[in-house]
Amino acid sequence: MKLTKRWLEDFVDLPDAPEVVAEALNNLGFEVEEMRPLTPSFEGVVIGRVEEVRPHPNADKVRLCRVDIGTEVSDIVCGAWNFEAGAIVPVAVPGAVLGGEFEIGRRKIRGVVSNGMICSEKELEVGEEAAGIMVLDGDYPRAAGMIGEDFAALLEYPDTFYDIEVNPNRPDCMSVVGLARELAAHFEADMREPDYTVHPVDEDTAVTVAIEDAEACPRFVGREVRNVAWGPSPHWIRARLTAAGVRPISNVVDASNYAMIEIGHPTHAFDADRLGDTVVVRRARPAERVVTLDEVERELLDNDIVVADAARPVAVAGVMGGADTEVAEDTTRVLVEAAYWDPPSILMTSKRMGLRSEASARFERGMDPNFCHLAADRVAQLLVDHAGGEVAGRVDAYPVAIEPAEITLEVHAISRLLGTVIVADEAKAHLAHLGFGVSGEDPFVVTVPTRRPDVRRPVDLIEEVARLHGYDAIPETVAVGGGGGLPGADRRLRVLRRILAAAGYHEVLLFSFIGASDLDALGLDGTDPRRDGVPIVNPLREEEGVMRTTLLPGLLKAAAVNQGRQQASMALFETGKVFLPGDGKLPEQPEHLGFVATGMRDGDWESPGRGIDSRDATGLWELLVDRLRIPGATRRPVSAAPFHPGRAAEVAVNGVGIGVVGEIHPRVAEAFGIRGSVAAGELELSPLVAVRDDWVFSPPSPYPPAIFDLAFEIDAAMPAGELMGAASAAAGPVLEDLELFDVFEGAPLEAGRKSIAMRLTLRAPDKTLTDEEAAAVRRTVVEAVEAATGGALRGEL
Amino acid sequence: MTNLSARMELTERLEALRASLPDKVEAAETLEELAGLEAEAIGKRSLVAQARRELGTLDPDARRVVGRQIQETADEMARVLTARRTVLEAATDATILERERVDMTLPGRVPAHGSLHLVEETMNEIVDIFTSIGYTVARGPEAETEFYNFTALNIPATHPARLETDTLYLDYGDADEEVLLRTHTSPMQARYMEERDPPVYVVVPGRVFRRDALDPTHSPVFHQVEGLAVDTDITLADLKGTLAYFAREIFGPETKVKFQPDHFPFTEPSAQMHAYALGQWIELLGCGMVHPAVFEHVGYDPDAVTGFAFGMGADRVAMVRHGITDLRYLFDPDIRVLRQFR
Repeated sequence: MKLTKRWLEDFVDLPDAPEVVAEALNNLGFEVEEMRPLTPSFEGVVIGRVEEVRPHPNADKVRLCRVDIGTEVSDIVCGAWNFEAGAIVPVAVPGAVLGGEFEIGRRKIRGVVSNGMICSEKELEVGEEAAGIMVLDGDYPRAAGMIGEDFAALLEYPDTFYDIEVNPNRPDCMSVVGLARELAAHFEADMREPDYTVHPVDEDTAVTVAIEDAEACPRFVGREVRNVAWGPSPHWIRARLTAAGVRPISNVVDASNYAMIEIGHPTHAFDADRLGDTVVVRRARPAERVVTLDEVERELLDNDIVVADAARPVAVAGVMGGADTEVAEDTTRVLVEAAYWDPPSILMTSKRMGLRSEASARFERGMDPNFCHLAADRVAQLLVDHAGGEVAGRVDAYPVAIEPAEITLEVHAISRLLGTVIVADEAKAHLAHLGFGVSGEDPFVVTVPTRRPDVRRPVDLIEEVARLHGYDAIPETVAVGGGGGLPGADRRLRVLRRILAAAGYHEVLLFSFIGASDLDALGLDGTDPRRDGVPIVNPLREEEGVMRTTLLPGLLKAAAVNQGRQQASMALFETGKVFLPGDGKLPEQPEHLGFVATGMRDGDWESPGRGIDSRDATGLWELLVDRLRIPGATRRPVSAAPFHPGRAAEVAVNGVGIGVVGEIHPRVAEAFGIRGSVAAGELELSPLVAVRDDWVFSPPSPYPPAIFDLAFEIDAAMPAGELMGAASAAAGPVLEDLELFDVFEGAPLEAGRKSIAMRLTLRAPDKTLTDEEAAAVRRTVVEAVEAATGGALRGEL
Repeated sequence: MTNLSARMELTERLEALRASLPDKVEAAETLEELAGLEAEAIGKRSLVAQARRELGTLDPDARRVVGRQIQETADEMARVLTARRTVLEAATDATILERERVDMTLPGRVPAHGSLHLVEETMNEIVDIFTSIGYTVARGPEAETEFYNFTALNIPATHPARLETDTLYLDYGDADEEVLLRTHTSPMQARYMEERDPPVYVVVPGRVFRRDALDPTHSPVFHQVEGLAVDTDITLADLKGTLAYFAREIFGPETKVKFQPDHFPFTEPSAQMHAYALGQWIELLGCGMVHPAVFEHVGYDPDAVTGFAFGMGADRVAMVRHGITDLRYLFDPDIRVLRQFR
């Protein structure tokens, strides 16, 4: 809502300081988004009266004027012809400055000295009119009594412009009067309500109105105004409209717009002669069309409400008028429509047509049904004052009057909700200031003005009291809860994230959307459940058209982005939801952990470090298992997209697979534009962050260890994990450490065979193991490994 | 007599050795030279060793006198040798250590290290402030029903936020129960209250969605922290005090706050809180007293309980605190951005 302070001051006396008014608006809940001073760009312009107009002796395009500027009568040469002797005009006298820089002096024009300049709107930057000079008599009658005075004072200078955000629940404040009423209540000042009196020359009108759908249109008022003469509005109306962001058009059009900004209620001016006398408010009929004021032909549906005459629809009700019945230069008879439309109907139609107007924005929030007749009369007043109109009769179709609501408010409920004592008298005064009728002592019976559709329940009244009491005046107390704190899984998630960061991984936050092409790039086959993503109905971009079923596309793209910016090495992780179809009302939304790493690790100026590969992925899993104390963690080789078929492992907790870690398939990396091998993994998060039993300390044994190395020759395809698992299980509780230290294939081994060597450290908590005991364990381990892997010990037992 | 004269001779030779040793020792430039002198003076084949062996041939009185004499001579020579050895060893050490000198201004070997995302850490900080005053934490679904996102929060069926221009809808489930991406964390108000009786003191951090293209101030994905306190006598004063406490905890003890009326369908009265922090007024969050219609939706009796709710943008808090002027950086995986999150 854009307006000026002076316009507000038509209705309420305000403090001088514009900031004080802005703060009051903020504290009432009307946020001031912009406030700026309005000052003229000219200086030294006075009001003058043209005493005499003579031809210029040496030129026929300009004339010589004698102008009374209060202190003297000056000779001024003027090239405009839109005035004669007697005109009241703005005069830039010598020394005046226009546009902030152009200084006016005495100068000779064709041999005659001109003592200044009579100005046009354009020259003064107070309007668009440039064809002639400003003639003030008609627009500013009081100017005649101000000869010689500062012209700026005649206009509303200085003034302040405000742009105010009005929340959608307050349609009554999408107007100067509405905000003035709020300010009057805030400052406890008197509100000067507008005077809506008209003096009809004829109480009759030939127009009749029939409402066919009283639900959509509870009230329709039409006021006839005759003998209007099309022309420009007075300067001050155009200036105020311009400040409000509305383009001035003509006196007839401006009357409706000016009234809407001032009093809020939108009206529409029909050319009554084009409209015809029979007005019907009804649903649109099949295949009906109307060309709206913006020259667009609009197809109507049967739930659109239209204003029609006997033959055709002439306006999309409450949204926009029709071109056929639009007022124009030849208009003499006007029907001013002021109706009350059902807000949802207006919203639906304007949405469907993609057509939002100042009018529809107000009607869809709710106007005051009991104000329609006054709104029409305000427009009629303006047509009389500024378009020479004569007020005739009024039609008012209002089948069922909408009565103000009554709300019962218990006084103690106010203090109970606000947390401060508000006495009955104060509450009553605040409500009365805002125009609520209050009767009774406790409880109050409050009558809600019909301009306030937002007030429905006692709590809405309490908010009104709070706003006027002032939020600042309410004390501050802290509401302390009963405990609970951070749930265990949240605590464990924080630990998990710290482990990853300490391991060199950077956390990223990526969008939850993917595109179908991302799943192609991953190389997922048609039956992969990750293909079955939940589509977004109205995505912003096609490549963000599906909810992510996996975190990997986002992470791989993130890696590619970094490589594209000359960042070759990086390690990234994300935790977040993926979305999969489920049985319930909502998709399944499990949390996942995803990570990718590529480039070099541990390099610096001295050495390039080492390349990242699949073991970075398995190693990260081992780190998580150890640090998060994940019980029953196992893994097995697996061939699964988007991973390298020979470099991926499914990891499991207590036998249940929770994800895959490994190296991304080189073709997949290529498809995402990544150079080099990529270690990656995607795991279900909840098994990782599940709350674990506390761990138990085991004191390090003071006894010496028994250490021995074993090397086995086995089939090259046999996973080392099988061998290590068998050895570990067979060694039993005295096994302190099992460390794999060599893997090789090739001579002297036959093709298809490999050797794996490991070192076992045995130690008992309570004694030194004897050579015999150690040898027995060694024997058991060898037998178990040979049995489990079909391999053979290399060397002597 | 032979015995005696032999003894005299040995003593004289010992004395001569003792007298000449300091100059020789002083002249030794290496530990090897010094070792040779040591062997000659007090080693197994030295005069001292020979003299000791011959002591046995003396009578007890003489043995005592001569023995002491030998010992004193040996001790003195050992002192001379040790003193020189200390000097030579120090010189050798100095040479070696000098050779081992490195440029300690060269870059060190920094352990691999990553970072935690600023927005996640900011949400954790916000959460921690509330858990420290007795609130717990809940999370909710990001794909949500239209009912919980809008209807249960008293948002009218015609509210523009429900439009497809503003909210991302999912093609999922029955036509009578639209599924969407939650536009705020507020649906958890209803879900959380439905599942338990009052009192309720909870914060809900999480990811939310709007149908906004990514630009410096908008993102289709962003983050909020919701708060909800419901008890028998929660007041607007409690709302103000609790959120003012929060603002001072996160922006510093001098932080000023102001509350202005605002409008949200699910709170009444409603407010927005501004905080003066880091030299500017920041619109920090929207809040209000839980609307009775919301209580009615979840089966709470609005006459028996009152409550407040608030929702704040975690991304915005992070940006304000760290001088980030473009929201897009928070979703940029560039490690030059991520490395700054510390």
